[in-house]
Amino acid sequence: MRTRISTSHPRTSHPLRVTALSIAAVSVGAVLAGCSSTSSRSSASSAFSAANCKGGTLTVLEQGSLSEFDPARLYTSGGGQIPALFFRALTTRDRVPGAAGDTVVPDLATDTGEPSQNATVWTYHLKPGLKYQDGTAITSADIKYAVERTFDAQLAGGPPYLRDWLVGGDTYQGPYKDPKGLSSIETPDADTIVFHLRKSEGGFPYLAAMTQFAPVPKAKDTGTQYADNPVSSGPYQFAGYTPKKQLELVRNKYWSASTDSQRLACPDKIDIQSGLDATVINQRLAAGVGADKYAITTDTSIGPTQLAQLTGNKALASRVITGAFAETVYLAFNTKKAPFDNQLVREALSYAVDRQAVVNAVGGSSLATAATTFLPNQSALGYHPYDYFPAGASGDAAKAKQILAQAGYPNGISVTLNYENTDDDGDGPAVATALQAAYAQAGIHVKLAPTGTDSDAFRAVVGDTANEPGLSLNTWGADWPSGAPFLTPIFDGREIVQGGGNFNLAQYNDAAVNARIDQINQITDNTAAQQQWGDLDAQLGKLALTVPLYFPKNLTLFGPGVKNVYLSEWRGTYDIAVVSVK
Amino acid sequence: MSTTALTAAAEASQEPASAAPTGPRALWRTLRRDRAAMAGLVVVAALVLLALGAPLWTAIEGQNPYAYHDNLLNSALGGAPLGSFGGIGGAHWLGVEPQTGRDLFARIAYGAQVSLAVSIGATLLQVLLGVGVGLAAGLGGRFADALLGRAIDLAIAFPYLIFGIALLAVVPASFPRPVLLVVVMAVLGWGGTARISRAQTLSLRTRDYVAAARLGGSSTARIARREILPGLAAPVITYAALLLPANMVLEAGFSFLGIGVRPPTSSWGQILSTATTWYYADPTYVIVPCIVLFASVFGFVLLGEGVRKALDPRAANGSG
Amino acid sequence: MRSLPMATFLLRRLLGAIVTLLVLSVIVYGLFYLLPTDPARMICGPRCSPQDVAAVSRAYGLDQPIYVQYWHFLAAIVAGRDYSTGPSTVHCGAPCFGYSFETGQSVDSLLLSALPVTASLTLGGAVLWTTFGVGAGIASALRRGRLADKTLTGLVLASTALPPFVLALFLILLFCAYLQWLPFPNYVSIGDDPVQWAQSLILPWATLALLQAANYARLTRTSVLETLNEDHIRTARAYGLSERRIVARHALRGALTPLVSLLAVDVGPVLGGAVFTESVFGLPGLGKLLVGSVATVDLPVVGAVALLAGAFVILANVAADLLYVAIDPRASIR
Repeated sequence: MRTRISTSHPRTSHPLRVTALSIAAVSVGAVLAGCSSTSSRSSASSAFSAANCKGGTLTVLEQGSLSEFDPARLYTSGGGQIPALFFRALTTRDRVPGAAGDTVVPDLATDTGEPSQNATVWTYHLKPGLKYQDGTAITSADIKYAVERTFDAQLAGGPPYLRDWLVGGDTYQGPYKDPKGLSSIETPDADTIVFHLRKSEGGFPYLAAMTQFAPVPKAKDTGTQYADNPVSSGPYQFAGYTPKKQLELVRNKYWSASTDSQRLACPDKIDIQSGLDATVINQRLAAGVGADKYAITTDTSIGPTQLAQLTGNKALASRVITGAFAETVYLAFNTKKAPFDNQLVREALSYAVDRQAVVNAVGGSSLATAATTFLPNQSALGYHPYDYFPAGASGDAAKAKQILAQAGYPNGISVTLNYENTDDDGDGPAVATALQAAYAQAGIHVKLAPTGTDSDAFRAVVGDTANEPGLSLNTWGADWPSGAPFLTPIFDGREIVQGGGNFNLAQYNDAAVNARIDQINQITDNTAAQQQWGDLDAQLGKLALTVPLYFPKNLTLFGPGVKNVYLSEWRGTYDIAVVSVK
Repeated sequence: MSTTALTAAAEASQEPASAAPTGPRALWRTLRRDRAAMAGLVVVAALVLLALGAPLWTAIEGQNPYAYHDNLLNSALGGAPLGSFGGIGGAHWLGVEPQTGRDLFARIAYGAQVSLAVSIGATLLQVLLGVGVGLAAGLGGRFADALLGRAIDLAIAFPYLIFGIALLAVVPASFPRPVLLVVVMAVLGWGGTARISRAQTLSLRTRDYVAAARLGGSSTARIARREILPGLAAPVITYAALLLPANMVLEAGFSFLGIGVRPPTSSWGQILSTATTWYYADPTYVIVPCIVLFASVFGFVLLGEGVRKALDPRAANGSG
Repeated sequence: MRSLPMATFLLRRLLGAIVTLLVLSVIVYGLFYLLPTDPARMICGPRCSPQDVAAVSRAYGLDQPIYVQYWHFLAAIVAGRDYSTGPSTVHCGAPCFGYSFETGQSVDSLLLSALPVTASLTLGGAVLWTTFGVGAGIASALRRGRLADKTLTGLVLASTALPPFVLALFLILLFCAYLQWLPFPNYVSIGDDPVQWAQSLILPWATLALLQAANYARLTRTSVLETLNEDHIRTARAYGLSERRIVARHALRGALTPLVSLLAVDVGPVLGGAVFTESVFGLPGLGKLLVGSVATVDLPVVGAVALLAGAFVILANVAADLLYVAIDPRASIR
C-alpha cells in the first residue's frame, strides 16, 4: 500500500512525508480488467481546445504537497507539479503524451544549454521579456543568486548535485555568509549565465529543470521565510497560503504564454487542499460532485481496495490515468558484511524471492510490476531486460537451497532484514513480511527489524556506512528520466559517503565501473547515453548486488469536468500545468 | 480512555461504597441472576477458549497464521481473495486475508492471544499502579498528596501519542513488543484509577470505623490493608472492567498508527487497521474482525456492568 | 466566607498546573533527545553529507546541549526570541514557540490556524454528545427494564466498543459514498462559509458523540432512577405532576453536578487534539499537527502542541473542580 506519485523525488521528498495515519495508503496501477488504458487523451463531454481553454477554478486534492515552497529546499523531479505553476527554471519537462514526455526542453532559457569542454561548462541565454509577478525583469543574476542560496545551511533539503558538481560547491556557504558569491557561476550579461562543473555531466539540462534554477530576486529574498510567499515567475501566484492545509493560486498577469510553450495555464484559479486522507480523495474524485467535478490530485493514486470499483464502471474507468514514476523497490546487500560478502548467498536470496507475494502485498499486478532488473522498465532510462537468477513467479526454493549448500550453509541461514516501519511508501512491513514467509521455505530465516518511523528516519540508519545493516528494503527513484541519476549514486564507488547519507548500500567500488560511468557522463546525446546506461545495468546485475523486487505503477483519478488529461511519462501521471476545466 | 475514568470517578465519589463488598461467592450468586452479565461472561469465556486453544483450532482447520497463499488471490484486483465471501470455505473457515492469502481464522485466533494478553496485562498494571498511588496520596501527608496529585495530573494530561510513538521508537527492537505495549499503556493509563482510589480513600478515611481503627493504634499500612482496600474494591473493579475493553481498543489504535505488535505476529488491531479500507472489495474481511472485536469488547462491557451492579446495591435496585 | 479559600484554591491549582506543564515539557524534550533520529538530518534531507548535516545542526542550534536548547525553548515562550532568516533577523514576540523545522513556518501561526479547527470540533461535538447522552439516559430511565431501555443501554455501551478510526471511516462511507446525503468533509473556517463549516463537521461531531455519549447516558440514567425513587418525587407524582416536569425539575438536577464535571474533563483531551477523528476526516487541527510533527521529529511543533494539549487537560480539570463547587456548595475542596 503506497501513497505515491511523488510531487517530488519519492525517496526524499519533504512534500510526501505523509504520516503513518494515511489509512488507505494507496497506489496506482494499470488495471481495469481488460481495459488497456494508458496514454490516450481522455475525452470529456466537449472536445478540448488549447485556444479556448481559459477560465474556471481547478481543485487539487492532496495528502501532502503543501509543506515546502522554498525553491532551494524543494526536491523535485523536473520542477515538480505544483511548484512548476509559479517557478520557472532554465529548462523543464516536455508536456506531451507518452514517452516523448521524458525529454527536457527549454523554459526560461532559449535552449537546453550549450555544453563545452567535455560537458563541464554549460551556457544558457534567457528569453527576452521575462517578468516576475511584480512586473520587474528576470535576469541571469537572479538565477545565479537562487542557485547560490541553496548552499545556505538553513535552506538545505534540495538535491545534492549542485554541491557535488559546481566548482567550489563543496565549500561554499551561501550568499548570506559569503556575499561574494560562487565564482563558478558567471553572468557576463543580464541574459547569459555560465556554469563551470568539476566533471563532465551530460545530464546537466535535466538538473536545470529543478526549482533550484528558478530565479529569486535578491531584493525580495526573506531567507527562511521566503517560502511563505515566494515571488512567481510562472503563470500563477500566491493568493492565500496555509502550510499543509490550503494554497490558493491566481493568475500572474505578467506571465506571458508567448515565452512559455509548456504551461497552458487554463484555469483562472487553482485551489489546492492538503492534509486529506487518501480514501477520501479518491472517493471525492470518483463522486465528482460540486467543485470536485473539476478536481484532480497530484500525489494520490487508487489503492488496491478501490480497484474493484473500477471494474464494471466504464464511466469511472475512463477517468483514470495509468502510468509509472521511474522507481524500483529492491533488497540491498551490504557486501562488506558477512554473509553477504559471499556472492553465492546473495544469489540464493535472488533465487528464493517470491515476487508474486511482494506484488500482492503492495496491491497486486495492477499496481506493481515484478522487477528482475535494477533500472525501471522505461525506455528513457535505457531499460535492458535481464533475469540472471530466475526465481519464477514465487521463488525457486530448491535452487536456492542448493546454492546455499554450495556457499557452505547446507542447513540454511539466518539473516536480519531492516525496513522502514510504514507501508506508506510500499517498502515497509507488508513487503518485509511477504519476503519472510517465502524465504522460510528456502531455509532462509529472516528476522524482521523495523527501523525508523518513516523513510527519512530509516535512511538515517541505513545510510550510515559504518552501521549499515547487512540486508535492507529500499526504494530508489529517478531524479530525472535517465540512467545517470539512477545508477551513479547506487553503484559508483566514489559516491560512498562515510558517516551518513550514503546510497551505495552495497559499498561497491570498482575502478572499471567508475571509469565507465565517467565515460557515459560525457555523452550529451541522450539516446546514445541511455543505451550505455542500460548495458551497464545489465553488467552490474550479474553480481547480485541487489534483489530487484518490483516497479510501482500509478492509477490516478480525475474529476468528470477536467479536460486535456494525458499521461506524462516523466511524472507517471497527468500534468497539472496543462489540464483544463472549461 | 479518560472518559470512562471520569464516569467511574464521578460515580465513585458520588456513591462511596455503602457497604463492605460481598465475597466472591455472593458476587457470583448475584451475577448468575443477571442475564446480560451472563451473556457477557459467555462471550468472554468463548474468547478465552479461542485464544488459549488457537494452536488446536488451527490444527483442526489445517492452517497456520503465517503461510501466504498467492494462488487464492486475484492479483489484478488488488490481491482480493478469489471466491465469494472473502474465500470462505472448508479449508479456510473465515476466508483469507486480501493481499497475503493468510488464513483469517488463524490470524484472528492467534490475534486473540495478543489482544487479550496485552489488554489484560495493561489493565492489571494500571490498576496496581493506580491503587498504589491513590492509596499513598489519600493516606499520606499533605505533602505526599500534593506531590502525587501532580503526578496524577501529569499522567492524565500527557498526550499519549507522543509518548507512545517516541517510546516505541526509543526502545531497542529486541525488546518483546507485547510487553512493551503493556508497559506503555500502563504508564499512560494509570491516572484514572489513581484518581478514583485517592478520592475513595479520602472519603473512607473520615469514616467512623477507620477513625476507630486509627485510635485503636493500627498502623497506616494495616489501615490501608484492612479498612481502605476492601472499600476500594467496588469502584476499582468496576473501573477496571471498563478499562479492559478501552485498552483493547487502544491496542488497535497503536496498531493503526503502526506502533503496535510487529509483523508477522497477528493482532486484532493490525487486522482492523488494514481491513477498514476493504469495505467495498472484500466486505467479509471488514465484517468478521469488526464483529469479533465488537463482540469481545461488548462482552467485557456487559460483564463489567454486571459486576458494577452486583457490587453497588443502589444501582442494582435502580435497574430492577 | 467561601471566597477566600476559593481564591487560594484557584491559585494553588494554577501554580500546580504550571509545574505539571514544566515537567511535561521536560519529559517531551528528554524523550525526543533519546530518539535515534537526528532532526538536523531530517531537515537536511537524506542525500546530505555529514558536513552538510553538521552545518544544518549549527544553523538550527541543534549542536548545543539539550538543556541549553530546552532553556531557549522556555525563554522564548516567556520573553520572545530573535531568529536569523539568512538575509536578516526577525523578532518572534512572546509567547514564541519558534519556527517549524519542516516548513519554516512560525509555530505560533501553526497553532493559531489549528486551534479554531479543533475548537470547532470539540465544542460542537460536546453539545452533540451531551444532548445525545443525556437524552438516551432519560429515555432509558423512564422505560426502565423494558425492551427500549435494554436496547438503548446496549446501543450506548456498544458504541464504545468500536475504535474511533473504524467508526469515522464507516460514517464517511455510509453518508458520503453510499447514501450521498452529505458531501465529503472539506473543512472551511466558520468565517468563510458557515454552512460548509457545519456540513464538514457533522460527521466528526457524530463520531465524537458516538464515542463519548455512553458515559453521559449511564450517568443520567442512574441519577434519574435514583431521584425518581426518592420520597419527595413519589409525593410530587401523587400530587399529579406530569412525568416530564418531574424529570425536568427534579431528576435532572441531581445529575447536573457529575455531568458538568464529566463534561469539563472530557473536553480537555479532545481540545488537545482528537487525533484519530481529525486524521480520518482530514481536519487540520491540533491532533493532526501533532502526529505529523512527531513523525518528522519537528521538535518546536511537538513541544508546543504537547504543552498546549497538556494545558487544556489540566485547565479543564481545574474548571471541573470549580464547577463542582459552584454547583454543589456542599462539595469540599481540598
